[in-house]
Amino acid sequence: MIDALRLEGVSKQYGRGGKKALAGLSCRFPAGSICGLVGPNGAGKTTAFSVVSGYLQPDQGTVDILGQGSFSAYQLKGRLGVLPQDAALSDRHTPRELLMHLGRLQGLSAHAAGDETARILEIVRLDDRVNNRISTLSHGMRRRVAVASALVGSPELVLLDEPLAGLDPVQAHSLRDALKGLRGVQTLVISSHNLAELERMCDWVVMMADGRCLREGTLAEVTGQTSRVEWDVGSDVPLERLRSALPGHTLSMDGGTLIQEAPDGALDKSSIEIMRVLADVGIAVREVRRGVSLEQRFIDETATDPKGDTPDR
Amino acid sequence: MTVLTSIRDIYLVARFEVLRAVRTWRAMALFVLYGIAATGAAFLFTRLVKTMENALARQMGVPETEVPGAMLQELMGSDTFRSMLEGMVGTSEAVDEILGIPILAIFNLWFGFILIPFFAASASAESIAIDMQSRAIRYEVLRTGRLELVIGRFLGQLMLTAGATVIACLGVWVVGMYMMRGNMAMSLAFWLVWLSIRAWFFSIPFVGIGMAMSQMTTSPAWARVLAVGVTAATWVAYGVARAAEGSDRFGIPADLALQILPQGYMNAMWEPVGWLGSAVVCALLGVVCMIAGFARFARRDL
Repeated sequence: MIDALRLEGVSKQYGRGGKKALAGLSCRFPAGSICGLVGPNGAGKTTAFSVVSGYLQPDQGTVDILGQGSFSAYQLKGRLGVLPQDAALSDRHTPRELLMHLGRLQGLSAHAAGDETARILEIVRLDDRVNNRISTLSHGMRRRVAVASALVGSPELVLLDEPLAGLDPVQAHSLRDALKGLRGVQTLVISSHNLAELERMCDWVVMMADGRCLREGTLAEVTGQTSRVEWDVGSDVPLERLRSALPGHTLSMDGGTLIQEAPDGALDKSSIEIMRVLADVGIAVREVRRGVSLEQRFIDETATDPKGDTPDR
Repeated sequence: MTVLTSIRDIYLVARFEVLRAVRTWRAMALFVLYGIAATGAAFLFTRLVKTMENALARQMGVPETEVPGAMLQELMGSDTFRSMLEGMVGTSEAVDEILGIPILAIFNLWFGFILIPFFAASASAESIAIDMQSRAIRYEVLRTGRLELVIGRFLGQLMLTAGATVIACLGVWVVGMYMMRGNMAMSLAFWLVWLSIRAWFFSIPFVGIGMAMSQMTTSPAWARVLAVGVTAATWVAYGVARAAEGSDRFGIPADLALQILPQGYMNAMWEPVGWLGSAVVCALLGVVCMIAGFARFARRDL
C-alpha cells in the first residue's frame, strides 16, 4: 500500500523548555484511504497537522508528503488541502470570493476556480449562501466554508482538523457522507475527538498520546474486528469443549459474555464451530460483537500507555 | 513553480489584499484620514499665503486681497516667500526650477514627504501581523510561497498608498480651485498628480518598514507601534545626519546615514529629471526593508 503521508521520528517543542508537543512521532497514512488521527487533548494532533502543512518547523524527523518530501508550497501546489483547527477566515469576503482566491492560488484558472467553487459549495451545502459575506454566516456555516477551502481543487491529500466540530447533527451527517464519498479518490486524514464519528468514516486509524504514535493500522485491526468476538450468551458455556474444538483460540467468560480471541484469519470459520457447540448444549446467542469500539480501544490504549494522558481530560 | 507562476501568485495576493482592505474599511480609513489631512493642510497653506500676500500688499501700499492667490506672482518674487520655498525644497537652485509649478502642488508634495511615511508605515504594519494573529494566513501560505505572499501584500499596500495620494490630490485640487485664485484646473490637476508620483515613490521605503514590522510580530498593534516608531527614528536620524554633515568627526557616518535613509533622497525628488534616480533608490530601500522582515517571516512558525 502506497503512503500518501509518512512521518518518521518527528519532534517539536514549543519554545525553550516548553512542552514537547511531538516526541518522535512516526506514523503513516495510506493513499486513497480515510484516516483517523485520534488522541486526547494535548496529544499533538494539531501540531502534527501544522508540521505537515509547513506552518511549524519540526525540530527533528522527516515528513514525506505524496512522495515529495517535506512541505513545499511550490511542489505541493494544489495537491494538499488543509483545514486548520483554529484559523479564522477572512470574513469580509463571500464564500465564493474566498474559495475562488484560494482555488486560483492553487493554480486553477479563473473559470475553473469558479466551477470548482460552485461544486464544493454544493457539497458542503452552502450553494445558497455563495454571495453572503462570511461574517454574516453562522458558526457551523463558517466551519463548512473552512472545510470547503480544504477540498477546493480536489487535492490528493486533505488534512481536516476537527471538521465536524460545531456542526449540528444534520450538517455533520451530510458532511460525513460527502467525505465518505471521497474514499479512494483522495486521501483524507481527519483529526477528531468524536471517535464514533471517525469509526463511521475511517478505514485507517492512528492513535496518538504525548506526541507519539501508540497504535496504527486498519480500523478492523485496531478495533480487533479481525481477531476478537464477544458472544453474549447470558450463561456459562462448555469452555473446555470449545477450546478443544478451536485450538489456538483464547476463550474466556466475562459474566454472560464469551470472549473469543482468534489467531489472524481464523475468525470467520471459527464462528461455525462455536455456533455448533452452543447449539449442541442448547445455549441461545443474544448478540455477537466483532472487536471493540474505537472509543473502547482508545481508552484501553491510553490507560495501558505508561505515559498516556487520560482522554478528554 | 516557475517564475510566471510566482508572478501570477503575487498578482493574486496583491489583488486580494486591496479587496480585503476595501472590505474591512482599512482602505477607506487610510483614504479619508490622509485625504482630510492633506486637504486641511492645503487649506491652512492658502491662509498662510493670504497672510503673506496681505503683508506684501501693505508693504506695497496696495489693497489687501480677500482670496489668496491674487498676488502670487509678486509674492513669489519676495525674499520671505522664496526663503520659505527654499526651506521646503532644500536648495536655491531647486526653487528656481519649481517656480513655474502651481504653489499648491509644491506644497502638496512637501506635505506628502512629511505625512506619507507615517501613514504608509502605519497602514502596512497590519498587513501580515493581523493574519498571523488570527492565523488566517495559513490558508494562503499553504498555497503559495511565503515570499510571493509577502511581495503580493507589499504591492497591495503600495496600491493602497497610491489610492490615498490620488484622493489627497483631489482634496487639494478642490481647495486650489475654490479657495485660491489663479489656478488653472488642468494644470493644477496635472502637477498634483505628477508630483504625487514622487511622493508615492518616497512612501515605498516606509511601506517596506511597515511590512518588515508586520512580519516580526503577531500583534498588529505592536507592529504598528514599531513601524511608526522606526519611521519617527528615521526622521530623527535624518535630522542628526544633516546636522553632522560635513563635520570632521561625524561627516563620514552622516554621509553614510544619508545614503541609507529615505529622507536623504527627499531634496533630489524636486529635481526635474534627477528625481527618477532617487525614486529608484527609494523603491530599492523599500524592497530591502521588506526583505529584512522576510528573513524572520520565512523561518517563523505560523
